[in-house]
Amino acid sequence: MLPQIALHDPVFRAYFLIVLISLAVGGTVLGFLRMVLKKDTASMFRTYWSWLVIAAIGLLVVFAGRIPTIVGVTLLAIYAFKEFARASGLYRDWWMTGAVYAGIITVGISSLISQPRGEEPGAGWYGLFVVVPVFAIALIPIIPILHNRSRGELQRMSLAIVGFIYIGWMFGHLGFLANARNAYGFVSFIIFATAVSDVAAFTFGKIFGRHPLRSEISPNKTWEGALGAFGVAMILPWLLRFSFPFFGTRELILTGLIVGIGGQLGDLSISVIKRDIGTKDMAATIPGHGGILDRIDSLIYTAPLFMHMAGYYYPLR
Amino acid sequence: MKRRRYDSANDVERTPLERLRQFPREPDMLVYGLRSLGALIIRALLRVYHRFEIIGHENLRTNRSLVIVANHCSHLDTLCLLAALPLRKLHRAFPAAASDYFFQSVPRLWIAAVVVNALPFARQVHVRQSLSLCEELLKNPGTILIIFPEGTRSTTGEIREFKSGIGALVAGRDVIVVPCFIDGSFKAWPKGWRLPRPRKVRLIVGSPRNYRARRTDKVDICTIAAELREAVNELGETNGSH
Repeated sequence: MLPQIALHDPVFRAYFLIVLISLAVGGTVLGFLRMVLKKDTASMFRTYWSWLVIAAIGLLVVFAGRIPTIVGVTLLAIYAFKEFARASGLYRDWWMTGAVYAGIITVGISSLISQPRGEEPGAGWYGLFVVVPVFAIALIPIIPILHNRSRGELQRMSLAIVGFIYIGWMFGHLGFLANARNAYGFVSFIIFATAVSDVAAFTFGKIFGRHPLRSEISPNKTWEGALGAFGVAMILPWLLRFSFPFFGTRELILTGLIVGIGGQLGDLSISVIKRDIGTKDMAATIPGHGGILDRIDSLIYTAPLFMHMAGYYYPLR
Repeated sequence: MKRRRYDSANDVERTPLERLRQFPREPDMLVYGLRSLGALIIRALLRVYHRFEIIGHENLRTNRSLVIVANHCSHLDTLCLLAALPLRKLHRAFPAAASDYFFQSVPRLWIAAVVVNALPFARQVHVRQSLSLCEELLKNPGTILIIFPEGTRSTTGEIREFKSGIGALVAGRDVIVVPCFIDGSFKAWPKGWRLPRPRKVRLIVGSPRNYRARRTDKVDICTIAAELREAVNELGETNGSH
């Protein structure tokens, strides 16, 4: 992944066009709703403007290459974890927050460097990447031990571990995916498909939504929206088959299942956390979306599941 | 089962800009880091560019709450006073800044909130509210308030009349008040100039005082304000303005 390769890479160029077309279609639909049907679309437009910014930044970072992608994912994870920590009160303990930051940075570094003894070819130290949780989880209880404190520490340790595993490590797989031989296809597909299935869940829910999906977790999600998103996610791997031409039917179905079910699970799992904390959004960083974490929550499931599924059938390098 | 309690930050659902505007601000690692880094750079620049010098530094050495009162004729004044504090106390030091000037435009807001850690002080309306905010802050030990009781930058270099609010803040309260005189900042960066000039700037720290025994009526708070102005003025005269 390098800018000069991206310029000539058919997959990246295709995604560039697909993203532009999707945004244009979305904008036209919203414009139609507003101009012709006179619907109140102010909040949807706010979300849409933010999508434009997200798409521009995302395309630019992937275009810029492997290192910017991994660094970008790491920064995103740090910021998303910070939102989680602020909402859950863990941020009041800077040592614990710092320990998780250190873990997230280790995830980023293990994605960047190569295996020192050269047993695995190419960039990215897969062995370290996979065992970072061991070290991070071992580091976290050291903080209260060094401070000689126990009051409330179980809660802080649990929050730190959950935050690290979900946001630092599982989401961090997106960065490691940039090391794959087929990086443009994998990274672009998983981001694009997850985003589209999110939008599909919202749209289907808005149009057909009747039956609440999980009333105690996220009152706005409906079965109709979830099924719509699932349907879209099952079709996408076939439509975007050029991203991974070597995938057979089995892998395409698995990819659809991962995006269709994993995306919803990621969303719901963060909703569980938000609901228990008692906040609607993790932060108000992106207008119309909430926090960074509210935007990337679906990727928490789809990125690692997709990476390990793809890595199981075809070596990433 | 009892519901778990989470001690969320109290600005979770606010936008980043609103977070900068609110006061008191939630502690933030990045902001603390940038502020400490900024302070180091400002200190180095003051030393080199303005040959900055502190006289009577030992008068600031305390861990109790502190009100620093000084003359005001330049933006450099705040930076000089902050440069006299140890780095670890920086995040507990709040220079009172005019909310109509510093908390409106985004760049100024950013500098006021991140670099200077300013306290938004409404100088035209709601002065009482701002004063009671200051009083709240002083209840925590280790708070440092930096106040310019003239209310604005002097355009002549002369010390203006001190507003009586400073008297109301310190009268009858067990808090250390340190008068300071900043010498040379008017020539170095007068109001209306875009950039400072390389002139020498000195900070003269006076001996601490206490107005615990004073009454809080109108006459007394005006007397205290006048006394403090006299103290600042005297620091300037005895240490010879150049």
